[in-house]
Amino acid sequence: MAVSALKRWAGKAPASVFVAIGEGMRERVERLFADPRIERAATPRHAAIFLIAGPMRLEDREDLRRLHDQMPHPRATLLWAAEVGEALGDAEKLNFTLQPADTSRADEAALDRLTRIWAELSDGERPSEPDLLHDEPPNPWQGIGPHGQGGKGMMGGTPYGRPMAMTADDLRDGLALDPYTARFGPFLPMFPPGLLLEMTLQGDVIQSAKVLRPPLPQAARDDASAALLRLARLLDLLGLPVLGHRARLAAAGDRPSSTLETLGRAIRWSGSTLAIRPGLGAVEGQGDLRTRFDDLLAVTGGSSAETRPELPESAHLSSLLPGLEWSEAMLVLNSFDDETLSALAVVKEDEDKDGHDHEGSGYMHHEHHGHGGHQGDGGHDHHAGHGGGA
Amino acid sequence: MTTFLAALLLILFLSVGFAGAAVADRAIPAFLAGQTAPSWRLSLADAVRLLQTQRIRTEAPDALLWWLAPALYLALAIVGLAVIPFGQDLVAIPSEVGIVVWGSCEALTIVAVFMFGWSANAPLALIGAYRYVAIGLPAMLLSMFVLIGAALPAESLGFIEIVEAQRTVWNVVRQPAGLILFLMLGLAISLRGPFDYASPEDLAGGVTADVSGPGLLAWKIARLTMLVSVSAVTATAFLGGYLGPILPGFVWLLLKTAVVLLVLIWAGSVFARMPPARMMSVIWTMLLPLSFLMLLVVGVELLLWG
Repeated sequence: MAVSALKRWAGKAPASVFVAIGEGMRERVERLFADPRIERAATPRHAAIFLIAGPMRLEDREDLRRLHDQMPHPRATLLWAAEVGEALGDAEKLNFTLQPADTSRADEAALDRLTRIWAELSDGERPSEPDLLHDEPPNPWQGIGPHGQGGKGMMGGTPYGRPMAMTADDLRDGLALDPYTARFGPFLPMFPPGLLLEMTLQGDVIQSAKVLRPPLPQAARDDASAALLRLARLLDLLGLPVLGHRARLAAAGDRPSSTLETLGRAIRWSGSTLAIRPGLGAVEGQGDLRTRFDDLLAVTGGSSAETRPELPESAHLSSLLPGLEWSEAMLVLNSFDDETLSALAVVKEDEDKDGHDHEGSGYMHHEHHGHGGHQGDGGHDHHAGHGGGA
Repeated sequence: MTTFLAALLLILFLSVGFAGAAVADRAIPAFLAGQTAPSWRLSLADAVRLLQTQRIRTEAPDALLWWLAPALYLALAIVGLAVIPFGQDLVAIPSEVGIVVWGSCEALTIVAVFMFGWSANAPLALIGAYRYVAIGLPAMLLSMFVLIGAALPAESLGFIEIVEAQRTVWNVVRQPAGLILFLMLGLAISLRGPFDYASPEDLAGGVTADVSGPGLLAWKIARLTMLVSVSAVTATAFLGGYLGPILPGFVWLLLKTAVVLLVLIWAGSVFARMPPARMMSVIWTMLLPLSFLMLLVVGVELLLWG
């Protein structure tokens, strides 16, 4: 009795959805989450439904499987116009024809399906999906010493294929801390979808960054709606989800200029511009983060998005991100339009020297994608990949 | 007898405050986002959902601390509230050094948050944890100077004396900037908005990034309870606490607490969060000197006219 009453209650909560966004689906998915019936989860740990939206690369499938297994029970998956073969087992599929006129109907269908899945899941009608991968360590244990800690004294070694952190000088202040190398992406919610970075961090300062997979191409539109969505992402990162939501609503619906004006005023009053340090993320021809933010803000005042000159050849994330602290780096990553970002995130074939310096011998073990089941292993690789990293 | 009554009032205060905070925490952001007011059932439904979700174990977590952290956070919120008087002799834990007790609750909150982020054994959670330590420490320092400024007119560290000293004029009039600084602490200690360095968006939930189900629910409950406590402390130190005409002191305190709580939730939704390094320099080079200056001003004021 009591249990079924509880289940009914749970069904009234908005469906908590973790989403992996594929090719060309970013803006649609973001507009979808303006609806109060669903909630976008920051991590698979908080979600009940895994939404895979749009076409995925072959190499992303393994990450999707790992993400799936990171979700707590009860859980379900919805493939929305996604082509992932058998990677997700026999997950529910929802397809649509890509007729521009049909988009709102297709979006409504996706919303309906998500709420129905949550209703079925919460009252126990739909069984929770089992793990897709085996629950085993990603790599064999390779540490040495009585506790497998390896290397010199307490440090060193490569337990489970992950090198132990050793001290090294910090880029910013020369304080010797433990550098930590991991892969971040490709479906980390604050990353552009598809982008997989291998980064070395000291504390929260990025020491080196290397692009392993570029972001998935998105519909390159250069209109006010796209600018508003970009603004919404930055607002979310600045701790202003309320204003982000308003910007998304404005991007989704029609935009009376009065609504936009109030939004613009609220953003100016929030102190967002002051929060951003001048000169942060400056790229030749693109200005710094503050100017890019102000440009987006100007869209709420009715001016059209400004076109910026071509990027200089040398501009790349591997030179832009190092030295930045994590939250600054996330702001910088989200401040470019899709086209500029793709140009900045080209996979470089030849190893740049910076990235090379930090590579230890055990490091290559990252290549063997193991698996992180929800019950235990995966460890650092696994967590960094909230969002799917390896 | 009065202690027993005060303990009952404490439980009542906590329950009413918590329920109100849970509803307001959803309603105010929804209102600011221009949505229709969500049903009060939503918070409850969300809680039930989390209760029925599996609790995830990461690789080699610090399981004991992972359990203890939300409990400690909640306990600190309750202990902090217990030294707040509901009337002239009506306090659950009578203490002549109430401010010190509250101050230690503030300081230990940093430990609770760090424990929570540490124990998942995951990078994003850990970054959230030490980021919070870096910001939390100077923020708590700040609050102590502000509270000493509030205690000066009373010439006592006890909350009852501080309230009684406000019979002529509330502390908010004596030092309005102190209230604003203390509200900032309120945001920091309840992990909210511009001071939420522990669980921000850019870390995919930070300290909560690897927490699911009941663990997450426990953390959310503790966080909201701390919001109630810090609001009550603010109301007591700056808005005259239980003082007020006609209505009983308990009701006055509840009303003032509600006002502070609403202001905190509002402020948590409308102000931007600076990247941590920038916030650090703002706190150390601007806000802390400002709080010294205010302490000085209050002291001089009391010397001249006190």
